[in-house]
Amino acid sequence: MVQVKKMKDGSRQVILTAQQFDEITKVLSELAAKTKASTILLADMSGQLITQRGHTDDINTAILSALAASDFAATSEMAKLVGEDAKFKLLFHEGEKRNVYLSNVGDNFFLVVVFDVSVTLGLVRIYTKKAIQNLLKIFRESEKGEDASKIIDKDFTSMLGDILDESFK
Amino acid sequence: MFINWALQEINLKIVYYGPGMSGKTTNLEYIHRKLDPSLTGELVTLKTKEDRTIFFDFMQIEVGRIKGKKPKFNLYTVPGQVYYASSRKIILNGVDGIVFVADSQRDRMEGNIETLLDLEKNLMESGHSLESFPWVIQYNKRDLPNAESIQVLQKKLNFFNVPSFEAIAIKGIGVFDTLKAIINLVVQHVQRQL
Repeated sequence: MVQVKKMKDGSRQVILTAQQFDEITKVLSELAAKTKASTILLADMSGQLITQRGHTDDINTAILSALAASDFAATSEMAKLVGEDAKFKLLFHEGEKRNVYLSNVGDNFFLVVVFDVSVTLGLVRIYTKKAIQNLLKIFRESEKGEDASKIIDKDFTSMLGDILDESFK
Repeated sequence: MFINWALQEINLKIVYYGPGMSGKTTNLEYIHRKLDPSLTGELVTLKTKEDRTIFFDFMQIEVGRIKGKKPKFNLYTVPGQVYYASSRKIILNGVDGIVFVADSQRDRMEGNIETLLDLEKNLMESGHSLESFPWVIQYNKRDLPNAESIQVLQKKLNFFNVPSFEAIAIKGIGVFDTLKAIINLVVQHVQRQL
């Protein structure tokens, strides 16, 4: 499964393996093809973009993910205020040219689907629902995870220090 | 922290926290202005008409590849005003490191302390604690005539003896030192936990 490790100090570590990444990308590509969505993002609730599909050149998707996560978080608070026990499961923003559909994928992730107003919402809902089921399946599938210590070693730490000195002159 | 193995990306979330008007947004604005445009994305600020941060500011920094790995730093600020408490809590979700931007002015001491306690409370709710979490303090506005002495600020705010920096963020003094320190601290912290 996607490793969501709780560390000793309470912080969270999410590690996605190469295989999971490929499988997730496949699901998103299929969703993009079926819904003709212009952009699709998968992100985690902290605002971290995981992967994207569709036309992403003209959109800053890092910012879109951060904003969408806050959108989600803000509406969860709204849900609490109006007496909902759970979070709102989906958010929909209607525009003149484009609509944005956001839906959570389990507790830790969410999907952002940006689509043309000519595409019916019902279609997007059906295929997004199917994609979410597939994503949850990928997240659940057991697989030996990668070890983060392989990616962040002593060398990395010292080289990062040098590169920061260089960049932040 | 989010690691994407396929793309060899390491993503860290750093939040600038502090009382209203202490200079959190000013820090980000300076970083954005000074960094080579190839290293940084757009700076998004969600401001009210009065130029106060209403939800957060956000920017991403990439410093290139290190041994094939691509570290990315997502910098956020929180709104400082007391009544945006729930926004602050939301932005701390998934945080890896914190810069506490304190206002050095003598009459802002109470605001600093109050916000630090608010930070501790919010961190506790997600299972963290200031005692063991990577964070640094920036004493901003050192140039103002009513600035409190560093000794007093240290005594009242830096009870865990975390790295601290004097700054005049509007002129960029101390801004990059603070950012470098928190990034290094977060990476060392992550390494220690592995």
